[in-house]
Amino acid sequence: MEHWGAALAIGLGAIGPGLGIGYGVGKAMEAIGRNPEVSGTILAPMLIGLGFAEAIAIYALVIAFLIPK
Amino acid sequence: MQLSQISMMAVAAAEEEASGHGQSLSSDVVMRLGPFDISNHILSAWLVMLVLVIVAFLATRSMKLVPSGLQNLAEVIVEALIGLIEQVAGPRGRAFAPVVITLFLFILSANWLGTLPIFENIQVIDEAHHTEVPLLQSPNSTLNVTGSMAIIVFVLSQVFALKANGVGGYMKELFIPNPLHILTEVTRPVSLSLRLFGNIFAGGVLVHTMLGIAPFVTFAFLGLELFVGAVQALIFTMLSLVFLAIAVTPHAGHDDAHGDAHAAAHH
Repeated sequence: MEHWGAALAIGLGAIGPGLGIGYGVGKAMEAIGRNPEVSGTILAPMLIGLGFAEAIAIYALVIAFLIPK
Repeated sequence: MQLSQISMMAVAAAEEEASGHGQSLSSDVVMRLGPFDISNHILSAWLVMLVLVIVAFLATRSMKLVPSGLQNLAEVIVEALIGLIEQVAGPRGRAFAPVVITLFLFILSANWLGTLPIFENIQVIDEAHHTEVPLLQSPNSTLNVTGSMAIIVFVLSQVFALKANGVGGYMKELFIPNPLHILTEVTRPVSLSLRLFGNIFAGGVLVHTMLGIAPFVTFAFLGLELFVGAVQALIFTMLSLVFLAIAVTPHAGHDDAHGDAHAAAHH
């Protein structure tokens, strides 16, 4: 039963960050398409923002690891 | 070696990995130094510190006004980081530069050195539990190390806030514009430590799992771990810088130099 808990934790927990990362990168692509010169300037802030979004998924992953213990 | 021998070795490695020798969540003791138990994460952290000290010593050995070689590389890195600090925290941010640059260099070196094969593969016998534990583990793959760094940043931000605003101003800051300010202050070190720990620990588990499932593409996941290690070092550093910069800025003063700081903190 606890394996269900771990699976649900990471499965549901990855939905939000997945959407967030897709939305963020999509907006970055839009900005680059509008103005190709800023691709270097956008890259670093985009990666930092993606790090924040991915951290939420990592919280869920840590819980998923902790449940079977 | 023949292809059949290589594939037999790969199958043996896969079976060994699948038997559960992967990373453990706890920090296992590997040696005793006087009255202290030294865990494998601390030993790895010492190794990282030794590497950093040796590189720093070699870079500053005969310093020239026009740098070359290792001194040049070190100056490029430090200048880039100081430029980043001044961009995020304004000219007063240089007061935070030593702590922030140390955090960045330690986390980056720990994450990158942690991908070397000497980590997690040398096993020593743990007498207390009669199991085999790895001698070296990537330092940030335990909440002990990342939590201590986050606690250091938290205590420093409170100390800087006290120094900048005085005790009365500090107590006022805790409640006046936003009664839940205490909650955000407390969750900052929690999120900071969990983010770094989760990323590095999950990266290690991923590499172990890939060794068990598809040993020949593990290098791709090691590359991913290098990338994630660098990004997480940058994120930890920038967030610490932003928290420190916010701590010395009273809410009344909203000058443009701290615009980045506020925008990033209220995410």
